[in-house]
Amino acid sequence: MAASSIRRELTLWVFTGLALGVLIAAIGTYLRARDEANALFDYQLKEMAASLTDAPFAPGPLPGVGGAPGADALVVQIWDRNGVQLYLSQPRRDLPQNAQLGFTDVHTSGGDWRIFSTLAAGQVVQIAQPMSARRDLATSMALRTIVPLLAVLPFLALLIAYTIARGLKPLARVADAVASRSPASLDALPDHGLPAEVTPLVHALNGLLQRLQHGLDAQKSFIADAAHELRTPLTAVHLQAQLAERAGTEAERSAAMRELKSGLARATHLVEQLLTLARQEPGVAEPPLRDVDLTGLARSTIEDMAPLAAAKKVDLGLEIEAAQPDGGSAVRAQAAVCARGDPDALRTLLTNLVDNALRYTPPGGRVDVSVGREAGTARSPWDGAHAAPLGSAEPAAARTGNRSFLSVSDSGLGIAAEERERVFDRFYRGRAAAASDPVHGSGLGLAIVKSIAERHGAEVSLGPGLEGQGLSVRVSFPPDAA
Amino acid sequence: MRVLLAEDDPMIGASVRQGLRQDGFTVDWVEDGIAAELALAENVHDVLVLDLGLPRKSGLDVLRGLRRRDDRRPVLILTARDAIADRVAGLDAGADDYLTKPFELDELAARLRALLRRGAGRASPLLVQGAIELDPASRQVRHRGQPVALSAREFRLLEALMARPGAILSRAQLEEKLYGWNESVDSNAVEVHIHSLRKKLGADTIRNVRGVGYALGSSGMSA
Repeated sequence: MAASSIRRELTLWVFTGLALGVLIAAIGTYLRARDEANALFDYQLKEMAASLTDAPFAPGPLPGVGGAPGADALVVQIWDRNGVQLYLSQPRRDLPQNAQLGFTDVHTSGGDWRIFSTLAAGQVVQIAQPMSARRDLATSMALRTIVPLLAVLPFLALLIAYTIARGLKPLARVADAVASRSPASLDALPDHGLPAEVTPLVHALNGLLQRLQHGLDAQKSFIADAAHELRTPLTAVHLQAQLAERAGTEAERSAAMRELKSGLARATHLVEQLLTLARQEPGVAEPPLRDVDLTGLARSTIEDMAPLAAAKKVDLGLEIEAAQPDGGSAVRAQAAVCARGDPDALRTLLTNLVDNALRYTPPGGRVDVSVGREAGTARSPWDGAHAAPLGSAEPAAARTGNRSFLSVSDSGLGIAAEERERVFDRFYRGRAAAASDPVHGSGLGLAIVKSIAERHGAEVSLGPGLEGQGLSVRVSFPPDAA
Repeated sequence: MRVLLAEDDPMIGASVRQGLRQDGFTVDWVEDGIAAELALAENVHDVLVLDLGLPRKSGLDVLRGLRRRDDRRPVLILTARDAIADRVAGLDAGADDYLTKPFELDELAARLRALLRRGAGRASPLLVQGAIELDPASRQVRHRGQPVALSAREFRLLEALMARPGAILSRAQLEEKLYGWNESVDSNAVEVHIHSLRKKLGADTIRNVRGVGYALGSSGMSA
């Protein structure tokens, strides 16, 4: 069956209503006409009986009763005081031979009868009339009322169809307006001259279009930024390739190729980071969250990054911390630290943090990955172990319940307090970082971290790093549901 | 010719510097706007290659400041944004030419030569002084129609002298043309190069004005 249609529904129900109305009118007219016919004929029977009893019966044709005996004809019987039948107008009729004074309804094999009997001047006069006469009259009266109605019915139908089509036109107009626009045009649909029923639909559509526009704008500016950011490493590669081409000696060529390779590595890194960021965008495929063992995650990430750390001569290690909200039990530290999350995304987050830390920590420096539990209401995470002055980016951890955290601290360059908000912006690179890094980072690492953290409802905060210098990035997961 | 390169990307900067050096330019490289202004204040560079997206002070601001001081040295801007509005803004701020990244090193060098030529008011790409013909693009020198092999420094020195015919350049000025910031200058390097040029092109090619400096010799013009 086709989809539901307002026009079909409306037409169906209006016509059903109309047909029911005509039917009810017919039944009503019939019932009323029958009542009126009853009263009229009863009166007639009474009058006739009265006229017959005005004078004692004398055999002979009766006035008003005679004529050809038809189906509708009245039947008259007269008895004398002794019950001897004096007269029967239609002998063949099968009527009861007794009389009950007043009106009675009688069923006989010949049909239903209405009978009026009266006693006057020593005679019983009984007049009977077949009910069919009354029914015929009522039916014909009802028909006379209905037929004109039935006659105008086609015109009514046309009018209704026209009205419905007219009423639905604004919807068709909106549909046309939506259908005829190009995919690029997300302007609001016109809402003037629309009926009150359609306006909310158009407004809702316009709201959706506006949100789409915002989303598209964000995408467009991201793509523009990404294209711009890609152009820089590609320019470098392009130039390095030209130098390789120009190289005259073997030594020059191999030096140029080395430069070219590092340029390619940088461009590749940027593309990978862009892809990672695109995958972390909200609204892509959201895998279900499950319990992730943060300690295990930290261990395996450190294993993966260890060669890079060794190459940079940076001491990379894992610390397991635990808050002791109940007065201190060392056993807790052994318990697995878990958080609800998407394991792949969390691995990306941690890898980016460690990669960043390694990138900006000079040889001989140190990078600590910490996982642990903290009381949500407890002290600032920068107390205690890191006796460094509190930065402005101190997190507002004021919720109750224990929460898991991941943090990566380094003894590197750090980020100036006034830059800490901006470093999460895409393509923003810290000043110290930009100045020191011979091979540019993508400027996307912390944007990726932020995007993943937001998906997990986790807070990211920046603080001072190890030994009073460097940077510490802490990702605090939401408190456990108590 | 001495070029000031202001480019914040280390890879691009290193490659452009190397490429321009191969093309016979003396190149100094700065990585931010403030450093660019300091270098410009030395007034030793002939042309500025300016990236618009510099940290600390944007390329456009550097350019506007330069023109406000009525500094007429040619400026070529490098931009990663290829929107027309960006290029228009750069040209309107006083740039003489632009290149959109990525670009070819050969094209950059050619455009710089063209800028220098126009800045000197010459139409011909060849520098000609009497019997000496110098082609900055192919880096070839001919004397009386015969090609002469010059070292890179000799070529630069001759180019500097030929670029401003009739002018007397001091030893310090010639050193500035010949050596970038990180290149060490031997105390008598200029004299050594002059000597060798005279040997290759004729003793009276280059005149020494005692206490002032060097100029192309009159004999070179008349011959």
